[in-house]
Amino acid sequence: MVNVQNVTFSYTRRTELLSNLSLKLEAGRIHGLLGKNGEGKSTLLKLISGLDFPKSGSIDTLGFNPVKRNPTMLQEIFFLPEELPQLTLSIENYEKVYAPFYPSFSTEQFNAYLKEFDIDNKKSMINKLSHGQKKKIFIAFGLATNTKLLLMDEPTNGLDIPSKGQFRRMVASAIDENRCLIISTHQVHDLDSLIDSITVMEKHEIVFNQPIEEITKKLFFRVADRDDKNESVIYGEDTLRGLYQVCENKTGEESKLDIELLFNAILSEKNRIVNLFK
Amino acid sequence: MNTILDINRLGLLLKRYFVENKKRELTFWGIATVIFVLIHLTSSSDKSGLVEVFLYISGLIFAARTFKIFGYTPGGMHFLLIPATHFEKLVSGIILNTFYYFGMMMITYTIGTVLGTVAGNIFFETSNPIQFAFFHFDPNINIASHAGENLFSKFIAFALIQSVFMVGSLYFKRNAAGQTFLALSVFFIILVIIELLLLKATFGTYHLNGPMMNLSISGDDLFFKTKQIGKIIRYSLIPFFWIVAYFRLIEKQV
Repeated sequence: MVNVQNVTFSYTRRTELLSNLSLKLEAGRIHGLLGKNGEGKSTLLKLISGLDFPKSGSIDTLGFNPVKRNPTMLQEIFFLPEELPQLTLSIENYEKVYAPFYPSFSTEQFNAYLKEFDIDNKKSMINKLSHGQKKKIFIAFGLATNTKLLLMDEPTNGLDIPSKGQFRRMVASAIDENRCLIISTHQVHDLDSLIDSITVMEKHEIVFNQPIEEITKKLFFRVADRDDKNESVIYGEDTLRGLYQVCENKTGEESKLDIELLFNAILSEKNRIVNLFK
Repeated sequence: MNTILDINRLGLLLKRYFVENKKRELTFWGIATVIFVLIHLTSSSDKSGLVEVFLYISGLIFAARTFKIFGYTPGGMHFLLIPATHFEKLVSGIILNTFYYFGMMMITYTIGTVLGTVAGNIFFETSNPIQFAFFHFDPNINIASHAGENLFSKFIAFALIQSVFMVGSLYFKRNAAGQTFLALSVFFIILVIIELLLLKATFGTYHLNGPMMNLSISGDDLFFKTKQIGKIIRYSLIPFFWIVAYFRLIEKQV
């Protein structure tokens, strides 16, 4: 669905934001793109959608070169940016104007998603709503477009706590084997039990890209006693509730993935974790 | 799927503009009509110069706003991701800032002229005839064919200005009208300097008139040809700037 090959990108001549980056993303999955601020997560989403052009390398998005911004490709992509556009339209008119551009758009789904987000009045002007409310409208619209590729940049920023749960439920129900969702975020907790593939960016490179089932097969997440010494421990965090650890999964036992712990472990013990997945 | 120009998508882009800018459009054309009514209220003298100035200045401001959306990154992203070709997006911009704007200006001018003259005749007890000076068309003197030609040349001049300022709206993020005007001024100043330097180098003077020069051009043919070449250049500059805008749009990154 998305194939990024040896892509290099920079906004200025001096500093490279992405260098020799390669990444393959499959359909039917919700990919979590994680990384610290300024690592190039949003830029990568822009490159995939054709908003920015790579300096070198190639990108294949849904079988198209995104640089061409072919309408056949664009009608199968919905990009939810972190900062939303200012539109002086009512929700009703937004749907009336933009829905016809997306052949698979479903008004029933849009209404259902809005209802789930407790947005009842479609006559409300989008520009008069709060950032969180606006975001809900764009999320609902994006999911209702039924595009093959959904790109979301920090989608839970600005959402209140109940809405984050609603967002997770909606996304989980909207994704099928033909659709691919890429969520870029640094709020890893919001994606708990939602994503099924994790991609980590560090120092402008992809350092980790694995499906959840592979991660839980190779890594074991546990809460251990402080005096528990175990050689298989790769990374640990001392918290009030105990010692949270990422260990090598030598027994093949299943454990619940802790995304934040994994992310910190990758940043701290990159080589050891990467070698484990080779 | 048509990946060059799809009429349906073009229609959707135009619909998008009108739905998003309904209030602004109604307000602006309402004000324009009132201005034309006021212009024609007091006397029936030729106001075409004033109308032309209003058309060109308001038009260039409108054209400089064609791709104003790129001034704000999320807006630019939103616009580029609308599932339509660059060509369709450009054509919708040209239709709006050239054909639609000129057409609406003519309609409001016609309404304003009729209303202004009639109202003036009633209020000031005069009997001024309704004259569309901008069209150079006097109902009492049938010179309609001349009027058509005159209006066409005004439209060409207008389209040229619009095409330049539309390119400006793609190049300059903020205050595109002002910056394009500045860029044009710089361009013309450089042109004048080059011309003066060439005059000095060729004839040893900065002045073409006066006793220092003794140029004689024989025959009307040369004048006619020069005029025709000027016309061709003017006509071809419009599509030239449209093409520049198209390539600028293609290479646009946000």
